[in-house]
Amino acid sequence: MNLLPVTQFAAAEESSGDLMSTLGIDWATLIFQIVAFLILLFLLKKFVYPWLMKSVDERQADIEAASHAATEAQAAAADAEDRVAKLLKKARGDAADIVATAKLESAAALDASEQKAQRRADQLVADAQAEISKEVLAAKKALYNETLDLVTTATANIVGKVVTKEVDVSLINDAIKAVK
Amino acid sequence: MAARLSRRKITSYLAEQMVAGTPVGQLVLQLAAYLIETKRTSEVGLIVRDIEYELSSRGIVLAQVTSALDLTTATEAAVTKLIKDTTGASKVNLRKFIDPEVLGGVKIDLPGLQLDTTIARRLTTLRTNYKK
Repeated sequence: MNLLPVTQFAAAEESSGDLMSTLGIDWATLIFQIVAFLILLFLLKKFVYPWLMKSVDERQADIEAASHAATEAQAAAADAEDRVAKLLKKARGDAADIVATAKLESAAALDASEQKAQRRADQLVADAQAEISKEVLAAKKALYNETLDLVTTATANIVGKVVTKEVDVSLINDAIKAVK
Repeated sequence: MAARLSRRKITSYLAEQMVAGTPVGQLVLQLAAYLIETKRTSEVGLIVRDIEYELSSRGIVLAQVTSALDLTTATEAAVTKLIKDTTGASKVNLRKFIDPEVLGGVKIDLPGLQLDTTIARRLTTLRTNYKK
């Protein structure tokens, strides 16, 4: 079985002029096909490849632009994240400062309000004491005056019953002597 | 209608008439008639006071003496002497009033002068001077 191709190859070498024929190739057809291929190649290069290349270039440019935009967005996101982090850090610091300041202010306000309340209470106590002293003084004065009235009234009542004609004469004579 | 006279003229006339010995009742009637005629009855108090002044300037003093009990003769004489010594009057007419409210002592009212030595007065003085 293996002897047949070798035999055929040897026969082909012997008749190289008919090799193309042996292979079944027709020169005219081959040339025609070559020309047609070249024309086709020309047409493709003239009309199709530029359009395809243009589309591919545009697509590539779009992809590159999108990639670039994505990179920029990523960078922007990272930058924004950094800024947010910084802002958060600053905000935490500010908040801590505000809280500390508020604590100080509230403590100061509380202290001031306590002092004010204390002063007010002291003033109220002082006013009350002054008022009490005044009322005590007025009461003492009223008591004194009432006692004086009582004494004079009692004296008048007693004297009115005690004075006799002799006493009255004596009083008048004493008064006359005093005037003289 | 009677002419309108000043109070000074009226009192001077009445004082002169009293000193001259004209009965007081008659003078009072004249004064009353005149005051009614001239519609000046509201001035009677002032006229009486002015008459007392006029009489005191003529040596006649009308004194109002107020006491709690009736004055004895000796006390009355002492009061009269006191008034004469004080005012220099030649004649003193006492009008005596009994007022138990004065409690004791005597109050002498003269024209423009008052001597109050009553116990009531002393108590009032005590009350007013020592009252706070």
